[in-house]
Amino acid sequence: FTVFTFSVGYSAVALNHVIDFKEKKQEIVKPVSPSELFPSLPIVQGTSKRIKVLTRLTLVISDPSHCNLLRSTSPNIRLYDIIAVFPKTEKLFHIACTTLDVDLVCINVTEKLPFYFRRPPVNMAIDRGIYFELLYTPAIKDSTMRRYTISNAISLMQICKGKNIVISSAAERPLELRGPYDVANLGLLFGLSEGEAKAAVSTNCRATMLHGETRKSACGIVYTVKKPRKAEEEEALPACKKAKTQA
Amino acid sequence: RGGMALSESVAGATTFERRVLRSAGEHHYLRVRLELPDGGARPNVAQFKQLVVSALRELHGEAGAALPVDVLTYEEKTLSALLRVVSSGLVKLWSALTLLGFYQNRRCAFRVLQTSPFLLALAGNSRELVLD
Repeated sequence: FTVFTFSVGYSAVALNHVIDFKEKKQEIVKPVSPSELFPSLPIVQGTSKRIKVLTRLTLVISDPSHCNLLRSTSPNIRLYDIIAVFPKTEKLFHIACTTLDVDLVCINVTEKLPFYFRRPPVNMAIDRGIYFELLYTPAIKDSTMRRYTISNAISLMQICKGKNIVISSAAERPLELRGPYDVANLGLLFGLSEGEAKAAVSTNCRATMLHGETRKSACGIVYTVKKPRKAEEEEALPACKKAKTQA
Repeated sequence: RGGMALSESVAGATTFERRVLRSAGEHHYLRVRLELPDGGARPNVAQFKQLVVSALRELHGEAGAALPVDVLTYEEKTLSALLRVVSSGLVKLWSALTLLGFYQNRRCAFRVLQTSPFLLALAGNSRELVLD
């Protein structure tokens, strides 16, 4: 599979685990480390670096109690590089965009959306740096799914104006993968502009990876404050310099 | 189709004419390869063209299927072809080829290797360059 992705032209791949909370007793298992699966990774076409393989967790949530798992500090969750959430109801979509600590919000493409997107939670998600994900593999398999994919994507575009979109494949076979420029062209079909479509495959994905890394590493911020100077010196400094030294 | 702009210098000493052509050309050319992993019968030229047109029809309907697409070359052994399409229809054709999943109930995939508004640019492919 990775040899194939290398020949099609990608430089990073994420392996996905889907956890569906409707079934009972789901536990988050430790992700399979990529080094166990592939002893040596092939080199990206055109550069001398190897393909990056990341691990990713997708949580299908249909109930607010499922979100507690994200808030609890389960040790296994921290091992995943990217965390994605698949909300099934409008309330959960709102919660996912505003408070949950995730990197991606998956948008359902296989059936008609049960809720309409509204602008406030989408804008808050964009401010927080959360990306919306669209899948394209169902569109390859079935024509009804094609219609749902395109209609859901277009309604998402109307609300978010093309920002913060990631298009990815949920491929299970190497044949279902498409090259990066092909996928960027699909973005044009969904209503993105050319620059946004290319970004949906390249820049936004990289931003998601970085978002995941910062989520894994950053737990708090330490900043230093300079002690205020004596009164007569403060008056001598011009106003802008004062602001800088106090920051 | 090409936009042209005419401009003259302000002082009037020398007049010059500037032509700006905005369109890249009438046609876009695509080099594609069909991947059929199962070792079944390979399509010939006519079947290949029919496959492309049916892909357009599936995604863009009758208006898409009416898009003027030409198969310039076709190699049955490697299943690779050169397609030509009107520039305005590039997005439609490319997306139709991307989302095609089945050929006669066999799983398949289209790989677009090169695309360019100039046919000569498809002659060299730096991705297939083998460095010793």
